[in-house]
Amino acid sequence: MSDLIVGISDIKVSNNAQDILVTYALGSCIGIVVFDPVAKVGGMLHYMLPDSNLDQNKAKENPAMFADTGIPLLFKSCYKLGAEKKRMLVKVAGGASILDDTNYFRIGQKNIMAMRKIFWKNNVMIEKEDTGANYNRTLRLEMSTGKVFVRSSGGEMKEL
Amino acid sequence: MKTVDRILKSITTLPAFPATGNKVAQLLSKPDYSVAEIANVIKLDPSITANILKMANSVYFGTRQKISTINDAVVHLGQKNLLRAIQTAGVSKYYKKGAGGYYDKATDLWEHSVAVALMSQIISKKITGEEDTTLYTAALLHDVGKIIMGEFVRDSLAKISALVSTQRVSFVEAEQFVIGINHAELGGKIAAYWNFPVEIREAISFHHRPDLLEKEEKMMPWIVYMADQACLMLGLGGGIDGLSYRAVDQVLKKFNLRMKDLEMSMVLLTDDLNRARELINIV
Repeated sequence: MSDLIVGISDIKVSNNAQDILVTYALGSCIGIVVFDPVAKVGGMLHYMLPDSNLDQNKAKENPAMFADTGIPLLFKSCYKLGAEKKRMLVKVAGGASILDDTNYFRIGQKNIMAMRKIFWKNNVMIEKEDTGANYNRTLRLEMSTGKVFVRSSGGEMKEL
Repeated sequence: MKTVDRILKSITTLPAFPATGNKVAQLLSKPDYSVAEIANVIKLDPSITANILKMANSVYFGTRQKISTINDAVVHLGQKNLLRAIQTAGVSKYYKKGAGGYYDKATDLWEHSVAVALMSQIISKKITGEEDTTLYTAALLHDVGKIIMGEFVRDSLAKISALVSTQRVSFVEAEQFVIGINHAELGGKIAAYWNFPVEIREAISFHHRPDLLEKEEKMMPWIVYMADQACLMLGLGGGIDGLSYRAVDQVLKKFNLRMKDLEMSMVLLTDDLNRARELINIV
């Protein structure tokens, strides 16, 4: 069994039942897990910011940095391994914010909005979601079962 | 003994901060300093010497030659980078044990501290056009209070967490309320014990609430605050306290920054973190 670690602004996909995909320390960033239970193909994206218009060159260099370039790449990478869109289950976690009554540092919120908009436009349902609040999260995908687990800082690992 | 008194007393058990940085800074301020003279001061501290050689070859410090002696490091790093490398090495030894109570892994606090130090330079460049070595040191030390607070936070975690999750109290406020002191204020006291200048002490003490510092014109606490918040948002070394800190809404306006500037500095930070692996790996 090997853990494939998904870093910040990173994508990993797999069709190996032995693998576990994991990303640590999601703060305001968002982790998206997709899994096709028939093809047994799964993937995880850890994106940092909502919109690639911030820096197009950077987005070309590393599409996984932004929601609007990372999410399509996550799906395409899974298609290459035989996954099909209609079978793919989507679960998401992250998008935390600091205690912000004035909505100034709203990157977590913007990240959540960007993701919802993209999924809405592409007719993708979010199966399960653990977003917002003000703690860090660890996200895991077990390729053998397709089960997804979330752990909030200081808490227990829970199935999402 | 009251908990606060026990905490304050344990400051005096910390080893003195290495004087290497100060001595080198003094030598560098003379127009006729010699490389050998500076190298000799550095060599007096074996752990700093070893760590400087590791860090000097990082892409972050931009040296092209392979650095294998302290003399080479003094020649090729340049004054600013040399001082930053010395301070990084000096601070690192206090962070080796981490801050259990806040973090799962011993290295988490160090990674967070280096990330905030790098981010402080990105923000400083954006605002003033220049990097700033004193700011770098302040940012590296901003959470130093956690190395002592950790065990006390662990003991009172249930109470602190209850306050944070149900009352929307920030983590520093909850520390203050439950334990009687918070990690920022304690960090300022540690920096005072180590004889750091007042601007570094204030930047540490007020790094979660720069708006409470009366000397509003001081930039350093605000930049450390911004760098820290940005790293917390990125999940870089967030611990049990997570993102449970207050947003100070004046901060972007104060420096004429837009949200986009903060987002862009996050993009730049991911590059710097890759180039600065050696700084993180010394702990």
